[in-house]
Amino acid sequence: MLKMNHLSKIYRTDVLETHALRDFSIDVKEGEFVAVMGPSGSGKTTFLTIAGLLESFSGGEYYLDGEDVSGLNDNARSKIRNEKIGFIFQSFNLIPDLNVSDNVDVPLRYRGFKAAERARRIREALEVVGLASRMKHLPSQLSGGQQQRVAIARALAGDPRILLADEPTGNLDSLMARQVLDLIENINESGTTIVMVTHDPELARRAHRSVHVLDGQVMDLQAAATHEPEPAGMAARI
Amino acid sequence: MQIQPILAALRRHRLATVLIALEIALACAVLCNACSMIADRLAAMHINSGVDENALATVHLTGYDLTKSADVDARALAALRSVPGVQSASLLYSIPFGLRQGTAGITTDAAGQHFGGVIEFYIGSPGSLRALGVQVIAGRAPQADDFHPFSGLLPEEAPIQITQSLAEHLWPGANPLGKQIWLDKYRFRIVGVLKNLVRPDPPGWPANQRQWSVFVPAQPGPQFTGSYLLRADPRVLPRVMRDALAAVAKALPDVVIDRDNSHTLTELRNSVFRNDRAMAGLLVGVIAALLLVTALGIIGLASFWVAQRRRQIGIRRALGATRGDILRYFQTENFLIVTFGIVLGVVLAIGINLALMKWFEVSRLPYWYLPVGAIVLWLLGQLAVLAPALRAAAVPPVEATRSA
Amino acid sequence: MFLYHLRLALLSLRRNPALTALMVLAIAVGIGASMTTLTVMHLLSGDPLSGRSAHIYYPQVDATPADWHNKYPLDMMDYQSAVDLWSAHRADRQTLIVNSQIKVRAPATNLPPLMLNMLSTTADFFPMFDVPFAYGRGWSAQDDANHARVVVISSDLNDRLFAGQDSVGQTLRLRDSDVRIVGVLAPWRPSPLFYDVRGGRYANGDTADFYGKPEDVFTPFNTGLEINDGNFQQFTCWHMPDKPGHLVNAPCVWIGLWVELDSAAKAADYRSFIANYAQQQKALGRFAKTDTRMLDLMGWLDYNHVLPRDVKLQTWLAFAFLAICLFNTVGLLLAKFLRRAGEIGIRRALGAAQYEIFMQCLVESGLIGLLGGIGGWLLTLAGLWLVRTRPTPYADLAHLDTSMFLITFALAILVSLIAGALPALRASRIAPALQLKSL
Repeated sequence: MLKMNHLSKIYRTDVLETHALRDFSIDVKEGEFVAVMGPSGSGKTTFLTIAGLLESFSGGEYYLDGEDVSGLNDNARSKIRNEKIGFIFQSFNLIPDLNVSDNVDVPLRYRGFKAAERARRIREALEVVGLASRMKHLPSQLSGGQQQRVAIARALAGDPRILLADEPTGNLDSLMARQVLDLIENINESGTTIVMVTHDPELARRAHRSVHVLDGQVMDLQAAATHEPEPAGMAARI
Repeated sequence: MQIQPILAALRRHRLATVLIALEIALACAVLCNACSMIADRLAAMHINSGVDENALATVHLTGYDLTKSADVDARALAALRSVPGVQSASLLYSIPFGLRQGTAGITTDAAGQHFGGVIEFYIGSPGSLRALGVQVIAGRAPQADDFHPFSGLLPEEAPIQITQSLAEHLWPGANPLGKQIWLDKYRFRIVGVLKNLVRPDPPGWPANQRQWSVFVPAQPGPQFTGSYLLRADPRVLPRVMRDALAAVAKALPDVVIDRDNSHTLTELRNSVFRNDRAMAGLLVGVIAALLLVTALGIIGLASFWVAQRRRQIGIRRALGATRGDILRYFQTENFLIVTFGIVLGVVLAIGINLALMKWFEVSRLPYWYLPVGAIVLWLLGQLAVLAPALRAAAVPPVEATRSA
Repeated sequence: MFLYHLRLALLSLRRNPALTALMVLAIAVGIGASMTTLTVMHLLSGDPLSGRSAHIYYPQVDATPADWHNKYPLDMMDYQSAVDLWSAHRADRQTLIVNSQIKVRAPATNLPPLMLNMLSTTADFFPMFDVPFAYGRGWSAQDDANHARVVVISSDLNDRLFAGQDSVGQTLRLRDSDVRIVGVLAPWRPSPLFYDVRGGRYANGDTADFYGKPEDVFTPFNTGLEINDGNFQQFTCWHMPDKPGHLVNAPCVWIGLWVELDSAAKAADYRSFIANYAQQQKALGRFAKTDTRMLDLMGWLDYNHVLPRDVKLQTWLAFAFLAICLFNTVGLLLAKFLRRAGEIGIRRALGAAQYEIFMQCLVESGLIGLLGGIGGWLLTLAGLWLVRTRPTPYADLAHLDTSMFLITFALAILVSLIAGALPALRASRIAPALQLKSL
């Protein structure tokens, strides 16, 4: 589903080169729930931006859903983001001017769906996260957990093949965090591949396996190369 | 206040900085040139006519047979002189700011080879030059035996008075007295120099030609009739004018009073310059709107920057910057941007001025306008940035701890 | 998608009403100023004989003596040349014109006598210049030949003397002669008063008088010359006329000749006709020079710089002002769009392509332009009202026609799109983002 081979990402400024990722390889199978762990500055966020086609990379190969995405132009990348990838951000990133329904509507608009199709998908996605009754609320009228669930509904509405989550519970208290995590697990169980970046081992334990990143490299080569889905929590214990 | 970090910040907002600087540059260029044009128009409007305008009025008659001119003039002058308050009434062809009746090109030689320019011939009956109040600065005023009747457009030979501006143009540095000018076969000898005597239509002429006039003495006749100059005390002139028109209408019921051309000289002057006055007013309006729009642009952008940098300002405040420091930061930033704009604007102002001089015959921009324009824009910038800068200074240090 | 962008634009404009008002105001003021001057410019620079002006020509021959150094033949003709060329009848239509002031009385009324402008012309004048009649008609070529005592009056004069009633058949007293009214014009206001345009090069840009009203009294050419003898003004003379005001056979130019030539071939023929005429006159010793010239109507107006200098200056000024408003709007839009950098980053992450962000911003700019256009239209109406209150000869012409009304909005939207393009491009370049970054 998501396969990176010897990927590198170099940030250049006038004075120095920073190797954010080097010789980075990972292979996430369809239906997997993978946690990517590492301390601050390890490169795990860079990995996520590249995985989500938000940024280009400097070297190596990246296959998403079997497609080589290295040579794609901005429009093609936007289309893939729109159709195949769902994002869940740490800070929810709802558009403050738009109500719940309109926020979920954003990716559907760019997909070019007809109005009836959009309305159906919005309702279904919001039902999944349990917020169908809050369609006309503005983000500022919701709690943090509710906002994150709207963000998840937005990610789900487009029926993505893969969901990328960046510290999805980072801004939530523990009760709300558990609700959100349960939701993510449910989504995974219904077949969506999930890659979650976190530095919280508790969270990682809920994934099928964990990948550790340090200094821009995958530390656990075995884990990275594992082809069989492992029971939840296994990787964390290694 | 250190300028280096401000410049660094501006480099990061290059596009917005350049836009505001360009706006200020254009404003500076338009401001300087518009002010210069206003000054031109005002100077034109305040031209020294050389005559006692506020004591003078004119009455113009038409619609009678020229063979009866002697009778019409006699009755008209008698009627005018009978009006209480009239100090003098005489005939004058061409009226300052009024009807133009003697514009012609002259030569300075009998053969007609040396063209001297297109000038205004004022033809006046005895007493008219004195009534005008024109100052004779050299030579002499007309004498009784200078006035003769004529049958052509002008007297064929006459001793005339010439304005010093025209004399200086025709014979630079030389004494004009005794010199002669020709108009076809007509010959005029200069016997006096007038300080000023404006053309009837000064706005239609380049600034240096607006006083190119001569005074030709003549007696009324079929070719010199129906145009009268009245002199009265300025305080009673409006009343005198009303009575004069009534008196003429009564004395000459069959003659047409040309009311468009029968006014006090003050009224005529106002109407001659009405376009210049309107244009000056328009320019003032444009300048005001221009400064307003520029100020609004500065306010808008500065407000945006302040909103954008709230957290940064909070951090600075937390690190010990005083409110004054923050205020001065934004003021200095504005000063720098406006200065960029002014540097560009000065070049642009001179460029536009050169183009205007070429196409619209405006005068050269006096160079002192540029620093004055710069100061106006600096002040405007500081005034406009004050409100956003004060808002920035009011950002509490606690803002630093808030995430965006 | 457009409607979605429109909805987002409305939402965004409502969010910052002050900033929106600022931008709309800037565009409205800029558009108002430039459309006011542009409308005046449009009215003054239009074709006074639309559709036909290309067939109307102003021939010129040069009767000045050898020592007169004029680059082109003078703006008018001497009597002999004008009458010779006219009588040849070599054009499809031809008409002579000469202006003078004349005393007018209407014996049927007890109004005081008036001094009015009279145009003495020939029969072709009315059909050639599409002059509209309210009552009666123009005179015939026979009337021209007979020096008939007939007159055509303007609708203004008919209103003043006869309260707008049909006055055909009534008598007017022009100076000392009685003439019969044969026609009354309908309101007619060519802009500029093209057939009287001449000497514009000497006007120093002060050409507003070319936009005055037509004459009130029209008489056959010879009739006018006879009844108003002694009251004619020369355009210029190279020697003083013996009797001022009587210019027939004087060394002066004072008569204009207009011809209508319906094809380019006829125009070429006419050019060689006047060239031959000049050669022949030189051979006879009457002309010293053989220069001739024939401009078409619009060429002649252009040569005379009919557009008043102040109007041109005002137009430049208004556009400089519009440019400043434009810069201002660019800056504000840039601020407005970049303030939404976070939202745009999220939209990009959610799959919006660059051009979709670009279009979203452009639709917002266009909406501001539309609002600015409404304001600009109102300000243009106010500006034209101001122009009408001014004592210029063309003041009464200053009205907004349909085309200028549409141009107001087109210009406003165009300006706002130009202003929006750069900020929109900047906004569309914002990288897709995982989180709202604080700056």
